[in-house]
Amino acid sequence: MIHTPRSEALRYLGYRGAQPDEATAALLDERIQAVEGAADPRWTSVEVPLTLRPGGVELGDWSIDSEKLRAHLEGCTAALLFGATLGVGVDRLIARSAAGQVTRAAMDQAVAAALIEAVCDDACDQLAQRYPGKYLRPRFSPGYGDFPLTAQPELLRRLDSPRKIGLTATDTCLLAPIKSVTAVIGVANTPGKCHAGGCATCSKTNCAFRRDTT
Amino acid sequence: MKFIDALHSQRLFFDGGTGTLLQAQGLKGGELPETWNLLHPDRISNLHRAYLKAGSNILCTNTFGANALKFPAGGQFDLEELVTAGVRLACEARDADPRPDVFVALDMGPTGKLLKPMGDLDFEDAVALYAQVVKAGAAAGADLVLIETMSDSYEAKAAVLAAKENSDLPVVVTTVYGENGKLLTGGTPASTVALLEGLGVDALGVNCGLGPAQMVPIVKQLVEYASVPLVVNPNAGLPHACDGCTVFDVGPAEFAVHMGTIADLGVQILGGCCGTTPDHIEAAVDVCRDKPFTPAADKGRTLVSSYAQAVEIGPAPVVIGERINPTGKKKFQQALRDHNIEYLLNEAFAQEEAGAQVLDVNVGLPEIDEPALLVEVMEALQAVLPLPLQLDTSDPEAMERAMRRYNGKPMLNSVSGKAESMAALFPLVKKYGGVVVGLALDENGIPPTAEGRLAIARKICDTAAQYGIPKKEIVIDPLTLTISSEPEAARITLEAVGRIKQELGVSTILGVSNVSFGLPKRELVNTAFFTMALQQGLDCAILNPNNAAMMGAWRGYQALMGLDPQCGRYIAAYGGQETTAAPVSSTDGPSLTDCVLRGSKEGAAQAAKAALDGGKAPLDIVDSVLIPALDQVGQGFEKGTLFLPQLLMSAEAAKAAFEVVQNAMSGEDRPSQGAVVLATVKGDIHDIGKNIVKVLLENYSFAVIDLGRDVAPERIVEAAGQPGVKLVGLSALMTTTVVSMEETIRQLRSTCPQVKIVVGGAVLTPAYADQIGADCYAKDAMATVRYAKEIYQG
Repeated sequence: MIHTPRSEALRYLGYRGAQPDEATAALLDERIQAVEGAADPRWTSVEVPLTLRPGGVELGDWSIDSEKLRAHLEGCTAALLFGATLGVGVDRLIARSAAGQVTRAAMDQAVAAALIEAVCDDACDQLAQRYPGKYLRPRFSPGYGDFPLTAQPELLRRLDSPRKIGLTATDTCLLAPIKSVTAVIGVANTPGKCHAGGCATCSKTNCAFRRDTT
Repeated sequence: MKFIDALHSQRLFFDGGTGTLLQAQGLKGGELPETWNLLHPDRISNLHRAYLKAGSNILCTNTFGANALKFPAGGQFDLEELVTAGVRLACEARDADPRPDVFVALDMGPTGKLLKPMGDLDFEDAVALYAQVVKAGAAAGADLVLIETMSDSYEAKAAVLAAKENSDLPVVVTTVYGENGKLLTGGTPASTVALLEGLGVDALGVNCGLGPAQMVPIVKQLVEYASVPLVVNPNAGLPHACDGCTVFDVGPAEFAVHMGTIADLGVQILGGCCGTTPDHIEAAVDVCRDKPFTPAADKGRTLVSSYAQAVEIGPAPVVIGERINPTGKKKFQQALRDHNIEYLLNEAFAQEEAGAQVLDVNVGLPEIDEPALLVEVMEALQAVLPLPLQLDTSDPEAMERAMRRYNGKPMLNSVSGKAESMAALFPLVKKYGGVVVGLALDENGIPPTAEGRLAIARKICDTAAQYGIPKKEIVIDPLTLTISSEPEAARITLEAVGRIKQELGVSTILGVSNVSFGLPKRELVNTAFFTMALQQGLDCAILNPNNAAMMGAWRGYQALMGLDPQCGRYIAAYGGQETTAAPVSSTDGPSLTDCVLRGSKEGAAQAAKAALDGGKAPLDIVDSVLIPALDQVGQGFEKGTLFLPQLLMSAEAAKAAFEVVQNAMSGEDRPSQGAVVLATVKGDIHDIGKNIVKVLLENYSFAVIDLGRDVAPERIVEAAGQPGVKLVGLSALMTTTVVSMEETIRQLRSTCPQVKIVVGGAVLTPAYADQIGADCYAKDAMATVRYAKEIYQG
């Protein structure tokens, strides 16, 4: 089982490097246990051929208009479609906490967000091992830049993710279970330039949860 | 030969995987396999023939993903044509085979959507999606319906209802378990068996997800619980990535060995799933063909279930919590009228923590729409509570609507020996499944003797049998009367418990606490009576699990009677409790202000009580202590010296103190600042921000009308039109749902121009909020509180 990076959970709770007091720390540890107990992390991926074209990319026979995705996949020879989820148990846990124990609910939310990212990072490490001598670019998800959220259903369908890992989208293209991630990952022959800064590269510079890179 | 006869008289073999075989014939990554029923019918026919040659005698139609979500009306392919063609191809292959025992299964997989409340597909919409496929498939000549690869028990239930309501075909259901032995949505083999047998499926089992070796522990559990024939269709081992493709690691010979083991466990129907080929099936048929066939037998176990777990009635007695019931409880009644679901959920959580195994749910109030309310409360409970529920209503419509949408196999409270009662409830039990409580009374009232109650119990069981309901699905309540008015009452009830159990072989249930009505120290009589009833063989008790003495009697009885291995549950409940903490002095504890600042719930409640005991006026506590403390925390949060968890812990502590103060105000409400409507907009299921805002607004004495998440604009407009509402708060997470926020604002402006609108959510900014026409963008919960104060206090 992948463990929750505690510092990331704290960052989602608004602690930008600050340390929590004793009571908060104790509750956080309890909620990390609860979320990890409720989580059933699963992920899946599929390799697709990649062609870059002006204004977008072709992933096999799937054509996506997105300058940002195209720029992100520059220099890649193939792409991976990727999906991961913590499962509905975490949704139920958060809903349960929300009924009268909102501190717990907020913590569950933050812990689960940190955990799914850790699950994705671990999955990508495993994927990287399948491509010796190649380099995997960071995950690029629908909703980033001009890669539209409406790509979500098609991405899930191509992953067969409802059947494989129970990951679905609502009619409004939100992922269900809630704590889930989908992404396109470039496979390249060279390390190349990439968004090593993660969230620090986002254009929303006044975000309260922005990771401090200084 | 009919499928249903073959099912009970011989071993049958399903076919195997299709995906990899179709890919080998040219199916592309993004292509929908069902389209080949029309585009490449010859290739599908070849596949069927290959499996028949391998020895399969059940062919699955190539319709796994055929539903209106993937093939919407007006699209390139017509759903009914695809299904009809798929069934016809399999039927042609069947008819060309010389064997009499070849059958065509209309194959239905999951919809690809999550059902509400975790996703956005309504239960009835799921039923309708499957109904379309069933109608077409049955008309085209399928011999049975196979519902397969289901990882959500609720979706499986929708599919079974669709199959049964739209055809007379036998229904077979297989679900997918993970390596943890559970469905993706949390169910166990026992809970799945309970649900599916309750719905009257003809066979059930497991497919996909795992290889045959990993399935063995699950199959063993299925064998233990299931009374219908079992199906096992494993993958060819576990998937591995190889050169960008998925391959499975178990070859035909190894597969066959494992399938032999599975057949020996008592499984009647075998086949394969992902990665298996005609070679796998042929090898399995060779190994299993001559193994002795054991028909399925009734295991006689009484199970109720939730989405997550099964509870077995007997041999250990089961505690059913009685607290979700408005009778004689003013606060509870008000909560029901206000649709205050949070209040009911907390009643449920408390009972669960106290050790209840099943919860009774009764929402009967004279002036209330009971069918709608029972469904609302039941759905809220089953979204978060893993305990099975006992649906408690005398309104047959309420019962049917709740049973239909219940995610599991419920207990039903109750039927009586009255002909009318039985005629109303038994058809529902037959259709939806459930363990029904039968009251030992009829048109002539409650018989005064144990003999009389036994006779009614017998009548109930006999009548149930006429509907095809076995007596294992019945639990008789011989009824508890009050000993202070009828001295023989308890003796008669106890005798009836024993005789119903021994002479009829039927389980029993009692509501225990009536017995002591009108007496002092009722708990003493109740625990004695309860223990005596357990000794007579009582199987279920409906009681208040928050009563420590009754739970002690229950746990003690099980420990004494060898029903609690190594006294494990007893020790888990009472171990380490020898020393009781010294009571906190109510005078020298920390101040209420400190408790709120530190976020101590218990401390705040105690300090509030101490302040009241010290003569402080309730409203004075609110205005001069609680609100200033909250203000201090809020300011700290806004300055960045305090963080969100601290803000929320303080809010919860203040809430605990408010409740104490409220109780001291002899039923009067704290003067409200005004009503605020909150909702997460339609299409959006992310509601944490909205929930945080709610708690803080309530702290500041606003009456919050919380409409929940995924709320249609029309409902928000309706709530905003209520008297006193001046502010509506809306939250949305993503660009795709801000669209419905914008639509909601548009409707509010035209219908309720007097209300102000505050918005928040991850994707929003002040500019964006302005663009969609909101009055205010709140960057966090405190900002919303400040804006609300501005609006209401001027």
